[in-house]
Amino acid sequence: MSDVAFPSDLRVAVVGAGIVGVSTAWFLARAGVDVRIVEAHAPVAAATGAADGAVSVASKRPGPMMQAALAGIRLYRELAESGVLDGLYLTRSTFLVAADRAEATVLEGHAAALASVGVTVDPISAARLPIVAPALSDRARAAIEVRGEGHAIGYDIVRRLVHTGGLRIDRDRRVTGLRRAPSTGRLLGLDTDRGPVDADVVVIAAGGGSAALLGLGDVLRPRRGQLLVTERAPALARGLPGAIMSARYLLSKASATGGPPVSPRGYGLVIDPLRTGQFLVGGTRENDAERPVADLEAIAHVLADAVALVPGLADVRLLRSFAGLRTAVVDGLPLVGPVGSGDVRVATGFEGDGICLGPLMGRATADAILGRPSEIDLAPFDPARFTGRMAAA
Amino acid sequence: MSPAPVLVVGGGPAGLAAAAHLAAVGHAVDLVELRPALGGAYHRRPIPGVTPRPIGAESETRWARLVAGIDHPAIRVRLRTGFLGIDGAGCALLDDRTAGRVEAARPAAVVVATGALERVRPRPGWELPGVTTAGGLQVMMKETGRIPEGRILLAGSGPLLVALAGQMIAAGRPPIAVVETGDPLRRPLAGFGLLPHPARLVEALGHLGRIVAAGVPWLRATALETIAAEGDALRVELRDRRERRRTLFADHVALHDGIRPNDRGFPEPSVSAADRPFVAHAGDCREVLGVAAAEIDGARVGAEVAAILAGTSTTASKALARLAAERRVQAVLTRLFAPAIPPTPIAALPRETVLCRCEGRSVGDLAELLDGSDAPGGREIKLSGRFAMGVCQGRFCAHWVAEAAATLRPEATAPTAGDLIGRRWPARPVSIDAVIASADRSDTSPSPER
Repeated sequence: MSDVAFPSDLRVAVVGAGIVGVSTAWFLARAGVDVRIVEAHAPVAAATGAADGAVSVASKRPGPMMQAALAGIRLYRELAESGVLDGLYLTRSTFLVAADRAEATVLEGHAAALASVGVTVDPISAARLPIVAPALSDRARAAIEVRGEGHAIGYDIVRRLVHTGGLRIDRDRRVTGLRRAPSTGRLLGLDTDRGPVDADVVVIAAGGGSAALLGLGDVLRPRRGQLLVTERAPALARGLPGAIMSARYLLSKASATGGPPVSPRGYGLVIDPLRTGQFLVGGTRENDAERPVADLEAIAHVLADAVALVPGLADVRLLRSFAGLRTAVVDGLPLVGPVGSGDVRVATGFEGDGICLGPLMGRATADAILGRPSEIDLAPFDPARFTGRMAAA
Repeated sequence: MSPAPVLVVGGGPAGLAAAAHLAAVGHAVDLVELRPALGGAYHRRPIPGVTPRPIGAESETRWARLVAGIDHPAIRVRLRTGFLGIDGAGCALLDDRTAGRVEAARPAAVVVATGALERVRPRPGWELPGVTTAGGLQVMMKETGRIPEGRILLAGSGPLLVALAGQMIAAGRPPIAVVETGDPLRRPLAGFGLLPHPARLVEALGHLGRIVAAGVPWLRATALETIAAEGDALRVELRDRRERRRTLFADHVALHDGIRPNDRGFPEPSVSAADRPFVAHAGDCREVLGVAAAEIDGARVGAEVAAILAGTSTTASKALARLAAERRVQAVLTRLFAPAIPPTPIAALPRETVLCRCEGRSVGDLAELLDGSDAPGGREIKLSGRFAMGVCQGRFCAHWVAEAAATLRPEATAPTAGDLIGRRWPARPVSIDAVIASADRSDTSPSPER
């Protein structure tokens, strides 16, 4: 590209090979920037590899996250249409389902909020539900169909971006700190357990690992999500025209206000029919969980909720359970933006929205480095809101 | 205080010997076996109504001894119960298929004695209907007394093919041929290694004698290269040491390329004696040494686990010496059956050759995944490549995928089969209904008094 607004020899180091880091590197590489990714373990080793893959606005409340989710969906659509994510982005509706009167009331208000920002939302009456989604139980009293949503498997997206971007990943290389010139304080790059990495700009997209690099211990916290995958059940999948989300999930997502989840486990329910005929079912949002390992109690709870809504799942076998530690920010909004002088940027803290927002925030971060205007307003995500709690990077 | 119960997984010789030893020294034992009957692969019992086939006096004596050993009030035998792994809460998960319920147990220790798994090398056509494993065919014979109708070809390598052919002949249904990549008769000196083990020698010679007497061709130094469906039959292409090719037609092909420990997906052995549950592997799932060694090793591991739980130590020099002798027998067999015609490396198989039969993923799919700026690691090969992702959870393909990945990207860190399979529960698919029932405590029967 000829219209570069950055030094032609600019070197960027991205810390973290999850969807956010890899997306950032992909957009930079496409603009001709010399970019390398430094990864403590392996790509998608953490939250990206244990995500449900929702590219969805359906559960968002009005505000910056709803706007970001809409922009995130648009970008997936563009990348799919341009061929980059060809075959990896599945467009489908999300059905928010209410099982009782209270949930139905919440649903009504939520549908109005979604419609107010231009999302196409169709109410589905109890009478029409069995026609639209025959696999649903008669406990489902009402539903809304949120159109134009999508699904993308995080590790597939990352693999495709690494491949099409020709990206280099330094695996098993742990970053121990930022390297600065002692006299001027100018950024020189990264210190790692396998020697220094030279860079003019550093992007920290290391999920929970970002905290140590930025001194963000009390701002970021891990939140465990447990999920499961069933064997193939194509006949049952035909009875579910999209993702099924329990309206109770809206209640469990208390983090939008920064508060703790309603139950310690933060149970919610999303049933996603996959292209393979399998079902991806989630999940939990657990604070104070250290190990990304699923436990029987949680998986049994999620499955009981799932079978209550989709009885046919009882006859299907559980193939895999898994858990991931998602990085959440105490106020419920991600951290995206410059840290200090701007030669260090951070993009993390997406909790359960990393797949939806990863490419979008990767592009926004790349644009900021390239001096290009951002298509979305990053102000609500500016790390400066925690100034004073953050050690000088 | 009564000692905490120990969970023994697997009702074969190793599991039974371990359970017997643990009970004898005062431990309560839950012995779980996925099948409806004890026995494991070697001592597999027939289903009700089927007359067991004779398996030889030494084997009958061993089985009688193993069964007598578990006749102990502290041992609770639970058939049709599988072990799913250890969950994030540290519970051992049991899939009780009779009750239709998954249970979370808190044993003091887990002895994994799940035996061996057949190795079957991928070849073009190995995924076709009518192609089975030789071990699978043998188990079917033991359980049901039946042999599938039609022409049966045995192919691959190892003593099991010879034994199976002998058993089929004895049942009046000889295979059309036994194709063997090794050439045991060319290594008569190696065979002397069996002389100190007359029972083994007699058994082997008995099977060979039956094969010769029945006129079944034993095609040594010959590889089965491809299988293709042709009409209702399977067309099989063979190649021998002198590059001579021949075609056979069969209705069933039973493949077998040796065995390996069946430890995939189960928790790894504990490194620290303080681990709870303490996990140990016993028998073929620790080291493939055969049925006689499995009994010795089961008792040895039972003693070791009892000592660890008691905070004492144990010496097992006698058992280790006997295991060493069995290891020498296995080494002789390995030499006898060493490939006389080198197998085609997995990465060199035709691109369309299926590697993962569950998900239909091929050599070409793997090559494509591994091509590019960044070589994916084991977990990424699993996730993005969908290898080891299917219902068998990688038990059949992971080893070969790892081998092929190492060939295709020699500069990258080679993935292991363990990377591909992972150690997440459930170790095998489990009914969702049974998982949900785990939360239903109201009808949980209390553990029997001990």
